[in-house]
Amino acid sequence: MKLFKKTLPRRTLLRGLGASVALPLLDSMVPALWSASAQVAQPVKRLGVVYVPNGMAMKSWTPTTEGAGFQMTRILAPMAAYRDRMLVLTGLNGVSSNAGVHASASTRFLTGVTPARTESDLRASVSLDQLVARILSQQTQLGSLELALDQSDVFGSCDIGFSCQYTSTISWRDANTPLPMETNPRIVFERLFGDTGTTDPAVRLERIRRDRSLLDSVTQRVSELNRSVGAGDRAKLDQYLDAVRDVERRIQMAEAQSSRELPQVEQPSGIPETYEEHAKLMFDMQVLAYQTDLTRVITFMLGRELSGRTYAEIGVPDSHHPTSHHRDDPVLYEKVTKINEFHTSLLAYYLDRLDATPDGNGSLLDNMLMLYGAGMSDSNQHANTGLPLVLLGGAGGAVKGGRHLRYAEGTPISNLHLTMLDKMGIPLDKMSNSTGHLDLLSSV
Amino acid sequence: MKQVLLFCLGIASSVQLFGADAALSEAQSIAASNRALLDQYCVICHNEAVVNSVKTANEGLQTTQLRNLGLTLDRENVADLSENPEVWEKVVNKLRVGVMPPPNYPRPDKPRYDSFRAWLENGLDEVAAADVDPGRTQAFHRLNQTEYRNAVRDLLAIDIDVEGMIPTDAPDQYGFDNNADVLALSPVLVERYVLAAHKIAGLAVGAAPRGASSVTYDVPLNLIQDDRLSEELPFGSRGGAAIKHFFPVDGDYRIKVKLQTNYVDFVRGYGSAHAMEISLDGNLLDTINFGGDAPGVPAPYSYAGNIRGSDEWEEFMMAFADEGFELVLPVEAGPRIIGATFPREMWEDEGIQQPRLFGYHLAVTELPDSNPGIGSIEIEGPLSIDGPGDTPSRRRIFTCRPENPGQEAGCATEILGSLARSAYRRPVTESDVQGLLRFFEAGRSEGDFEAGIQFALERILVSPDFLFRIEQDPIGIEPGTRYAISDSEFASRLSFFLWSSLPDDELLDLVEDNSLRDAGVLERQVARMMEDPRADAFIKNFVGQWLYIRNLDGIYPDPAAFPEFDENLRAAFQRETEMFLEDQIRSDSSLLELLSADYSFVNERLAEHYGIPGIYGSRYRKVTMDGTQRGGLLGHGSLMMVTSYPNRTSPVLRGKFVLENLLGGPPPEPPPNVPALEEESEGKKLTMREAMAKHRENPACRVCHAAMDPIGFSLENYDAVGKWRMEFANQPIDASGLLPDGNTFDGPDGLRDLLLDRPDDLVGTITEKLLRFALGRSLEYYDMPQVRQIVRDAAEDEYRWSSVILGVIESTPFQMRRTEL
Repeated sequence: MKLFKKTLPRRTLLRGLGASVALPLLDSMVPALWSASAQVAQPVKRLGVVYVPNGMAMKSWTPTTEGAGFQMTRILAPMAAYRDRMLVLTGLNGVSSNAGVHASASTRFLTGVTPARTESDLRASVSLDQLVARILSQQTQLGSLELALDQSDVFGSCDIGFSCQYTSTISWRDANTPLPMETNPRIVFERLFGDTGTTDPAVRLERIRRDRSLLDSVTQRVSELNRSVGAGDRAKLDQYLDAVRDVERRIQMAEAQSSRELPQVEQPSGIPETYEEHAKLMFDMQVLAYQTDLTRVITFMLGRELSGRTYAEIGVPDSHHPTSHHRDDPVLYEKVTKINEFHTSLLAYYLDRLDATPDGNGSLLDNMLMLYGAGMSDSNQHANTGLPLVLLGGAGGAVKGGRHLRYAEGTPISNLHLTMLDKMGIPLDKMSNSTGHLDLLSSV
Repeated sequence: MKQVLLFCLGIASSVQLFGADAALSEAQSIAASNRALLDQYCVICHNEAVVNSVKTANEGLQTTQLRNLGLTLDRENVADLSENPEVWEKVVNKLRVGVMPPPNYPRPDKPRYDSFRAWLENGLDEVAAADVDPGRTQAFHRLNQTEYRNAVRDLLAIDIDVEGMIPTDAPDQYGFDNNADVLALSPVLVERYVLAAHKIAGLAVGAAPRGASSVTYDVPLNLIQDDRLSEELPFGSRGGAAIKHFFPVDGDYRIKVKLQTNYVDFVRGYGSAHAMEISLDGNLLDTINFGGDAPGVPAPYSYAGNIRGSDEWEEFMMAFADEGFELVLPVEAGPRIIGATFPREMWEDEGIQQPRLFGYHLAVTELPDSNPGIGSIEIEGPLSIDGPGDTPSRRRIFTCRPENPGQEAGCATEILGSLARSAYRRPVTESDVQGLLRFFEAGRSEGDFEAGIQFALERILVSPDFLFRIEQDPIGIEPGTRYAISDSEFASRLSFFLWSSLPDDELLDLVEDNSLRDAGVLERQVARMMEDPRADAFIKNFVGQWLYIRNLDGIYPDPAAFPEFDENLRAAFQRETEMFLEDQIRSDSSLLELLSADYSFVNERLAEHYGIPGIYGSRYRKVTMDGTQRGGLLGHGSLMMVTSYPNRTSPVLRGKFVLENLLGGPPPEPPPNVPALEEESEGKKLTMREAMAKHRENPACRVCHAAMDPIGFSLENYDAVGKWRMEFANQPIDASGLLPDGNTFDGPDGLRDLLLDRPDDLVGTITEKLLRFALGRSLEYYDMPQVRQIVRDAAEDEYRWSSVILGVIESTPFQMRRTEL
């Protein structure tokens, strides 16, 4: 056991943020598009995904009525203020799976496929966010951020026969590369703003130059190794090279943008003590990342799939996963509902922050597209049908909220993925088992 | 007799050509009898018609489960196991735990059951012996977080805060975090590696930090600070903390101590006068006197927070009571221990019961006359820099000092060559050194000699040769060829297995002499490595993962159900298991003693929890557990806690744990849409035992639960934090059980005897885990004969740790590798 948690100074980012961020903000992001003729710039496209584990208390999630006048439910209620930018989607199915029901829930959420149960490697498919990141990263230093609140090193209690990787992430760079989710706000901060402890452009440029030469020489060495190994072994090296190139690309971007002013923000101290503080600080980091346009794609897990977290602070000292097998017992069902409600109340904090951050003619929330939900519906049955999903934000006008839509039975979640890609300006014909696009997202 | 049978099997195929023969007819009759056994007991379910059937809406769960598992035995040729050894290994595994055939289905009598299993195992071993497959480890095996930290420690003599540098790794499906297949690489990691290299190289050479930084070490709130808490704190001290901090350079630093506050943020214990001592490496720096002088009118006892004191008092207690508990002093660079603690006013010698201090419930924190506790220690600096100082890492790195510019290149070559050899774990090449020298020169051109070394060191730390364990096929070798790995690769396998770190110079020297695998040398090296403190990593990592001990940190028992649980107990649980395993391994005991031992290690806190009288003080000591419910692993609070939910025990989790980690028969995952547990029956609320019994009425559930549940229930005397209990919810605990093979047993003793009764299975399971950990890959069917061979050899040496560990190291999969097929 670690008795002593090592942290950096404790003044939180949150307090300082509003006041001390010298925002270079959005003007610098759209200079080319912004002209004196007061022509409205095309809003920047951004994608956010927030995942909750262990399904949902569906009875308290799904609105009983459909369309524009839908009845708010208990779990959705904390976000009621954003009803106009909320689109509740009912009836979409995840790919069913006979094995690894929890590993499947997190894996299919953005990939539309279930994990391979192989003895020898990890395999799923590229996830929605990473498809978007491939395109949107052309403008930003970081392709994407993957964040979470639970460490991934849980021993012996992941889905039987599946690596814990499957339950610890929802992001897959490609079929064989699950992306680790960062849990420490301090590290997220370093990823965004570097660790030089200074915003002096000269110092930062010097660091960039050194990083480049380090990575160049690593690339050389990898090519050397590449020549001496068989085809089968090259996969790992390719993964390595690919990762190195991605970092190089970022470095180039950072070099090009090195004159850009960075905000004066206090570095967070580490992982806060309570779950709520931790979640909020991670939400703050996300707002900051969008605001400074360091990335446009973020995925976030409020809990790893199969999480056994206890929520004593809201009167649920029981472990989440076993409780989610509620057997329709009213006492247990109430506990699960409370956990689900707690999560949306935390999300509401994030929505508040996004809505309060100006972006173009509106707010970050107006212009971004966010997916919130779980990879299974009724947790008691590990149900893959009718997943609890809600789209938030206006996607710069591409999505019209304020409604509850119900889709025909059997519509795959891949149709939503396809449609979201479309809204992000990335038209694809097919993803996983998709059968077409979802209609009604922007109309009626 | 078995050997005769084997012989027959081995020659069966060649003999057939020559027609009738005594041996042939015997082999034939054995094959026929085994075929009949399969047909009679297994094929009723495991047949192609069922397994390949099309899913129907109303089919039973059992059919679904059979289809998911996909095992068919109706067409398999039991007369020639070499046709499909993979399937037969699966059968062996099920027979091992005795879960097949399921309860209520006919099963052969025990002698026939056991002899069939033995026959299968021997047959499979024979098949494997004819063509040993060492398997194929990955060519590029990324170091995991732990290995990275240890490698940096052994390379540069520096302990880094690795969790703040690179992400943790998710374990594989067997719970091990060193599986090369799972250790993928993403841009985030590369970015972190580059960043970590900057930080580490700077710290290691003692580069002047750009400015002062500060680090705060928090003491957990639930750590009871009534007793002496650390070997690093003086006798007669109470509470506090001793933390190890790395001071990057010689210079001035500020040490600031905050006191623990209660739930309304008042400093605890400020109502009366106290003293606090701050020390550096055991030397007293200062005594700070405080308390009893708060201005104004205090809030009334026990009502602080509800009834306010005067404004003056409130403000002081919340904001100023522990202001200025700080020192600024010069500290020499390197790792130092900072202590902050309170002298006890009344105390007895260590080992004697100390006067009781507090005695209130954990939640009662508002009393102003309670004792203060340390809340955090903050270290800020360097406020000024005197120089890089003389740290272990600088001594390690700077083995030479150029006296003039002409000597620099030579000295840099010496330093970098030696660092690269350790870091890359192989002899360095000319091109390695030339590459590093270019970085040295680049760094040198912008700073001094040390700045040059620093930059080259960064290059070493981001090299694939450092970040990956590389195993390469010999050039020009055919696909599917088995070959012995190189001595360099072998030395790395050894050191990462036993140390989770780099090979040391002694091993690398042996590699360069080509003598590492010479007769006697390897045994001596393994013995040396196991005696080395670095082998603690083996105990921590292997045991921590095999027994899930690493999960202890993440479990928060429900305070309403277990108000007595505190951080002291959590620490004691972990320490007990670690010390017990360390003692077992270092004294080279039999693996069976893991369960049968009659001793353990406890301190006062743990002894109190276990109900052992007469143990005083925070020091852990070996205690004989005569006549108690403690001793072997099954009585460890740590194990009982990691197999429980935060508010209750789970017989299913415990049963699964034992099956998976001690008996080697992990249950398959439950079928989808498992029926819910029934809470009530005929208007009567069911106990957990009754609810599970109802659950087992479903044949699909019964298959696994028939083995899991009774094992789990036999441990019900231990509650969710491992405390012994005789009753639960006013019902006496019923810890009796019946296993699918008809064995009955009762309580933890019964379970222990049951496990010890099948030593090969227990040792075999641990060996499997060891081999998986040692190779960093999943085990395949062709590895199982190797496991059995290790166990057979170890059995002749009373299953000692040394024989199992050496068995793993000398096994074919550890020594060899196969090219891709």
